[in-house]
Amino acid sequence: MKNRFLYILLIASVLTSCFKDKGNYVYTEHEEITVTGIAASYDKISLVDKITIDPTVTSNKTGAEFKYWWGLYETSVQGAVPKVDTLVRTKAIDYLVVQPAKGWVLVFGAKNIKTGYTKIVTSNINVITQFTRGWYVAKTESGKTDLDLYTTPTTILPVGKVENVFSLANGRKLNGKAHSLRFYSDYKSLTGTSFLNTRALFVVTNEDASVVNIGTIKEIRDFNGLFFNAPSIKKPDILCNGAQSFFFINNGRLYSIYNMSSNTGQFGISQMVNEYNSDYKLSKFFYTPGFMDPLFFDELTSTFYSAGGASLQLASVRDAATTKMPSKNNNKNLLYLGFKTTAAAFGVFQDRTNPNLRILSTITPNINSLLMINDTLAANEKLYSATMHTLFNGDENMMYFVVGREIWSRNLSNRFEQLQYTVPGDESISFIRHQKYTTASDAPFNYNYVVVATKKGDTYVIRMFTKTSGNLNPAPAFTITGKGEAGDIIYMSPSVGGSTYPNTL
Amino acid sequence: MKNIKYILMATVLLLLYSCKEEYYLYNDIKRIQFGPDITRIYTPSFNMADTTKGYTFFYDNASKQIDTIFFDIYAIGGVSTKDRSFKLEQVAVPGAENAVSGKHYRPFNDATLVSKYMIKAGAIHAKVPVVMLRDASLKTTTVTLKFQIAENENFSIGEPSNVWRKAIFTDRLSQPNSWDAWLTQYYLGKYSVVKHSFFIEKSGQKWDNDFILLIRANFAELGYWKGMVKAALITYNAQNPGNPLKDETGEIVVIP
Repeated sequence: MKNRFLYILLIASVLTSCFKDKGNYVYTEHEEITVTGIAASYDKISLVDKITIDPTVTSNKTGAEFKYWWGLYETSVQGAVPKVDTLVRTKAIDYLVVQPAKGWVLVFGAKNIKTGYTKIVTSNINVITQFTRGWYVAKTESGKTDLDLYTTPTTILPVGKVENVFSLANGRKLNGKAHSLRFYSDYKSLTGTSFLNTRALFVVTNEDASVVNIGTIKEIRDFNGLFFNAPSIKKPDILCNGAQSFFFINNGRLYSIYNMSSNTGQFGISQMVNEYNSDYKLSKFFYTPGFMDPLFFDELTSTFYSAGGASLQLASVRDAATTKMPSKNNNKNLLYLGFKTTAAAFGVFQDRTNPNLRILSTITPNINSLLMINDTLAANEKLYSATMHTLFNGDENMMYFVVGREIWSRNLSNRFEQLQYTVPGDESISFIRHQKYTTASDAPFNYNYVVVATKKGDTYVIRMFTKTSGNLNPAPAFTITGKGEAGDIIYMSPSVGGSTYPNTL
Repeated sequence: MKNIKYILMATVLLLLYSCKEEYYLYNDIKRIQFGPDITRIYTPSFNMADTTKGYTFFYDNASKQIDTIFFDIYAIGGVSTKDRSFKLEQVAVPGAENAVSGKHYRPFNDATLVSKYMIKAGAIHAKVPVVMLRDASLKTTTVTLKFQIAENENFSIGEPSNVWRKAIFTDRLSQPNSWDAWLTQYYLGKYSVVKHSFFIEKSGQKWDNDFILLIRANFAELGYWKGMVKAALITYNAQNPGNPLKDETGEIVVIP
């Protein structure tokens, strides 16, 4: 027994004998290099602005002599390793920004040549253009869609307008009636010889689609180019993101891009609904928290499905044990499904057998345990007759909806309904949305509006209402008008990312 | 107890031995062996790549009567100031349809090839051409040409696992090299000529080595083509109830 311990000790000593002593036996004081005069971030207009900085550099070691360098590298890069481009090797920098509009990191290095010690300081550089900040309106005139840009140089309130920026940049308009704008910062487009993350805006109509670089509004891909093999019927319904994926529903069929692997920004084959490739038609209403697989609804079978970006087939959704309505074959039409939070949604359903039966459903949109709690709507409740809906993204537990020319609210906790606004008699409502932008680093441009867009003759009118305790304030914060009918509006800034806005209608 | 004592002692000896670093010398005699493409020689996982290469004349015009595939060979033991020839010889593969010299391939000692089987002065790498002949029998058979290095005045043979290569060729549709185990497991399923023909017919693409290499460089595109042929297979089977597509061995064609 004693021998056994001896052997174990021997083995342990043999094992440890292979280790090298990597101890630090230097006891002198560490050098501290201090750099001041470099801000945490800068906004710079490409080809217009300069980076002009002369930092102060000191060391706690006497007699320090410094060597300096400035460099710049790209952020949000996938599919390639970003390289630091050296700009100058002086303490002061006066450099004209020529980089394309997106996020960059400025690097300053100060090396004490006596000690070899180096201090690195970084700063975020948001390279912008005239297109990277402002309100974009997708609008339709005579069956053709274009973009109007409302510029916001100092606050969220627009002060200037550039009409038809899509056709100005691309020489053509989109076919069809505009219905959605979606922005993503990680859409892959060909940059040099690689497909890299690009800040890209999707413009979608009922007959066409285009994705443009937000820095230039130049088209990256048109509808046909968005697919490996474009569908013969051009009928885009929605575009959204999910777990590292993009999804495109065209003519009720789902196409996807898995964005975590290298890709060319093209959607693949239409996903199948089952192993028999049966017919299906996904609703334009869906739910996605952005970071998990979305929730879709098949209008042919009244069945919820989910989907992965790399999959070839829609995924079944499992019911929670306490759900009041099954996710499969529930015999309902989906009138609305919207985003409340990343863990809550609301839906409005109509029974297919008895169309007079309408339901407001509180949904916990877990695709592995879908929970729907139903509340039957009485015919005299205003929500029963609603034609458009919107939910407050993360705010008060309320739904806004449209009945004729009236905007109503419904408290989702106590069913209380209230008229909030009536549009003038010569206007008809095009859409309502709740939109907010709360990025702290972009505080002067933060907002929280209920958007009411109307059509007045050949023009659009978009009123941006603030709200107090869920109720619209009497007058809009501002109103914008333009030619045509508005289909959607989105606020863009260098700080807007792919998860800034919920994707749902 | 006695056993434990010996085991422990052996363990101690092994541990002591494990601290030593081994060095193999390659400058004793000149050797030669096959290896992966020269871009992969420092990638250990490719050490055994390219042992077998397939080829088919199927996609070529009738006027094409010969074609060449290449393997990579490496001299070990340093460079020489002179060109150094090496020698190859066929090895019969039991149970396979062995290629016939002069009928299915140009003999290794053919006068037009002797100069090709050479490590040039100052070099350690050469491409080894295997010249295949489009014999009429290839329309109905697939032949195997296994060959190995034979010692000569310039070289002894290298590592035993890398002294041979195999070429499998035909004039029929055949499994492209790039339709490998990974593609089989995750994308296309087991290879069969019927499945291959079906892919070609439904997609309008060749599904040859170049095409597969192109699409497998991009997962999204690979997924697209897989989905495309899978949907076509489902449609075919739906249109032929009770008679799903079967391969040449009678197995139902499946795409995972």
